[in-house]
Amino acid sequence: MRSSIAAAARPRLAAHGRPLLAAMLLLAPTLLVAGGARGQEPLVLNVGTDQKLETLNPWFSVTYADYEIFQVQYELLVGFDNNLQPTAGFAEEWSSSADGLTHTFTMRADMNWSDGQPATCADAEFTYQFVLDAVASDAGYVGSGYLEPYLTNAGLESVSCTDPQTFVVVTEFPTTLITQAFVPILPEHIWGEFTPEEIGNLDAEGEFPNEPPVVGSGPYVAVEWEEGVFIRMARNPEYWGPPGVPDEIIFETFADTGTMVEALRDGALDYVRGTGADQFDALATTPNIRVAEGYANGYTYLSFNTRGNTDGYNASTSALADEAFRDALGFAIDRQTLVDRVLNGYGVAGSTHVPPYHANWHVAPERPRNFSIAEANTRLDAAGYERGSDGNRLDAEGKPITLRLTWPDSEDHSADAQFIEGWFAELGIGVDAFQTEEGQLYTDLAGPESGGDADWDFYMWGWGGDPDPMSLLSFFTSDQIESAINDCFYSDPRYDELFALQQRATDVATRKQYIAEMQQLFYDAACYHVLYYDSELHASRTDEFTGWVNQPPETGTPLFGFGYSGYMALQDASAVPTPGPTVVATGAPASGAPSPGPTTPGGSDAGGVSTPILVGGAIALLVAVVGLILWRRRGAADQEEE
Amino acid sequence: MGVRYIASRFVTAGVTIGLIVVLNFVLFRMMPGSPERLLLGRMPGVSANVLETTRERWGLDKPLFPDQFVAYVSSTLQGDLGFSYAARGRPVTDVIAQRIGPTVLLFGLGEVVAIFLGLALGAWSGWKRGGLIDHVGNGVSLILYSTPYFLLGMGLMIVFATGLGWFPTYGMRDVGRVYPGQLEELIDMARHLALPLATVSLGLIGQYAIVMRSSIVETLSEDYITTARAKGLNDGRVLRSHALPNAMLPTVTLIAINLGYVVAGAITVEVVFNWPGLGTLTVDALASRDYPVLQGVFLLLSVAVVLANLLADLAYGLLDPRVRR
Repeated sequence: MRSSIAAAARPRLAAHGRPLLAAMLLLAPTLLVAGGARGQEPLVLNVGTDQKLETLNPWFSVTYADYEIFQVQYELLVGFDNNLQPTAGFAEEWSSSADGLTHTFTMRADMNWSDGQPATCADAEFTYQFVLDAVASDAGYVGSGYLEPYLTNAGLESVSCTDPQTFVVVTEFPTTLITQAFVPILPEHIWGEFTPEEIGNLDAEGEFPNEPPVVGSGPYVAVEWEEGVFIRMARNPEYWGPPGVPDEIIFETFADTGTMVEALRDGALDYVRGTGADQFDALATTPNIRVAEGYANGYTYLSFNTRGNTDGYNASTSALADEAFRDALGFAIDRQTLVDRVLNGYGVAGSTHVPPYHANWHVAPERPRNFSIAEANTRLDAAGYERGSDGNRLDAEGKPITLRLTWPDSEDHSADAQFIEGWFAELGIGVDAFQTEEGQLYTDLAGPESGGDADWDFYMWGWGGDPDPMSLLSFFTSDQIESAINDCFYSDPRYDELFALQQRATDVATRKQYIAEMQQLFYDAACYHVLYYDSELHASRTDEFTGWVNQPPETGTPLFGFGYSGYMALQDASAVPTPGPTVVATGAPASGAPSPGPTTPGGSDAGGVSTPILVGGAIALLVAVVGLILWRRRGAADQEEE
Repeated sequence: MGVRYIASRFVTAGVTIGLIVVLNFVLFRMMPGSPERLLLGRMPGVSANVLETTRERWGLDKPLFPDQFVAYVSSTLQGDLGFSYAARGRPVTDVIAQRIGPTVLLFGLGEVVAIFLGLALGAWSGWKRGGLIDHVGNGVSLILYSTPYFLLGMGLMIVFATGLGWFPTYGMRDVGRVYPGQLEELIDMARHLALPLATVSLGLIGQYAIVMRSSIVETLSEDYITTARAKGLNDGRVLRSHALPNAMLPTVTLIAINLGYVVAGAITVEVVFNWPGLGTLTVDALASRDYPVLQGVFLLLSVAVVLANLLADLAYGLLDPRVRR
């Protein structure tokens, strides 16, 4: 009986399954061997990032990835070289008048946009005037509002063109910062077709997302974009300088850094930004992989609600308004332990709000708060915060002090919180630590000046900076309280005065003096306790590209810095060593060297997988479903026969 | 199957979807934080005036009931799910439409493969109850069923992608690669699909095999099986024509539930393989608190599950005449 089942069943199954089995057998080796050799395919630099690739419209840039995308595609008026010094960008030369108020920029006569249209002063004038108009509008900003301050902080007053190659900028005070403006020069013949509303409003009718092919002036321009997934850039044939070695650059975003690191290991990626500390350690010992720990151009901080619980502010205790109380708490934070235990050593213990990354501007505080629980207790005693019968410190109203510590759910600071909770417990101060949804945190932080009720005590988050410390300094002027940027409500007329002075200082030594005093004032006020400067952890493969150069060389990372010098320094690892393209030289004229044309788009439709592929998949699904139905019917027919 | 039965199923599904639409409105307005604050974030220079203007522009200055609710229902019925915060104002329907194809492809194929192999393995194990194949099949099924997708996925990736280099680590295709023809593109996509598909299928095979096995074992003790054997039918026919159709009932429920996930996707599989589907979209939307997109995905998932259950009900009607009454 058993043998008869087999005899009866097998041939029928075989007959049904034969074509499928044959197809699978044929396909299997093809799948395994396909995709290995690239042959004539373009040399592609594959870059992975843990940040989403959300926009091609520079005005909406927020993350490091957003900035990286626009600065590869568009020249800044003046670029940044590998040492973060001004270098040729949209302008090849620049000078300032003796009074430092008039700045003249000279463009190349033969520079073109990637679509072949001439790139002239009119484009620079259009872009800067767009900013001036946006700042003067009711809204006062455009897009995400992160780019205009580069020009407003430099005192931009008016712009004009004296001829197609000469751009004149007038500032309201003498400044050198106009050469550090992180504002991409945009092609007027593209962007001028849209209203400010369409360019800068999320939900405006006819909003302009700047979809590929992007018309740019940088060495690469986006030719394909699947939002949130990848951006593919091809070499810009009209780029004014020597062409970069990679034919294409593909940026891909990863929801899981583990997958991203595996992709780097197996060679699918050439560069990754945003590895975890453990992954970084493992990569450091992996062959053909180069790791780069970059100093943070930013910091993680502990901010206090310094207005306490008066005048519409709602901290849980009046003690937070007392500088002596906050100062004492600063002695109870072991910043080095946080670096060692929370960051696995990848960072630097915090002090002032200008990180050591800005080697020219950072100063160590004159009266540092070195970790000492005893010192913190002594200072709290001296400030009158006595302990109750249960050992808890009491505020001026006799209420036990228990502080609410929070952080946004977009970051994980639970380990920091645990340490702080333990240290503060030794002071007799309770800590109620919890994470807050980011949207809710924005609402909670806002003070009465910006329509909120400041219902919080202290919290952790971070700031990132630019090549110049201007933005990091600007967050704490009094006028930033209304915008909720100045989130600890710090207000000191002397700090405001110094901010204006350093803005206007054209002499480096003088400016440094002002900035040093600002750091000292802000540090002493104990408005923030900077916890640490957390490092940027990047890694790259060295078997496809060589020439990875950090920016700046000693403390930076090859990519995701300022400008695009890191891309231009790359060389093909498989090529015979020849004098390849190097970092773009200051003032280099258009080389005239024949540049390889833009790589043709892939066989796929822009925006993802092509229709034939999806149709193929759908057919496979259909065949399977029909097969199932036929099988079912056959069973039913058999049943009826019986 | 009576018209009344079918009509009642459709009415139930319709009412459920209506309730989901209402729940969707309430749920996402209970989220902490104000949308305009979230939208504008830490923009330098944002004043209270700008916040107020944004509230007006997004209709958040109006009362929740009836103004915002009526506007929401009306726009949802018209297929307008609003604008994505993270995608800089792109319509949510566009954002979701871009991601739904890859998910349906991966999980649709995964379901089909798992249904065939899982049910076959389960039926075989049940049929050979107590034998070697039963022990091995059941053991393997339990292991697969209890292994989390991400673990299975990472394991396959480390062995077959990073280790042996047979398949790509991530993605749906080699971005930017120029394909000589569509066959090459198809092969490239198949290579990218192999590991995620294997992960999805293996995870589901365990479930289907276990349910099918126990169902077959139960069915084999029924009188009609003994009758079928007494009629002289061979084992294959007894299994195919008598045991399987009756054993299918519990698996139809399981398949229907899983069909809902064809649309939603198993988030972890997509994240592990960076598959550009609805799963990774959901994770991204959560990370950037893109509530309109989350709301859209939630609606889509809910409707998919309701429709899958409707299909299950109808299939039940076909499979089991008792249900039709």
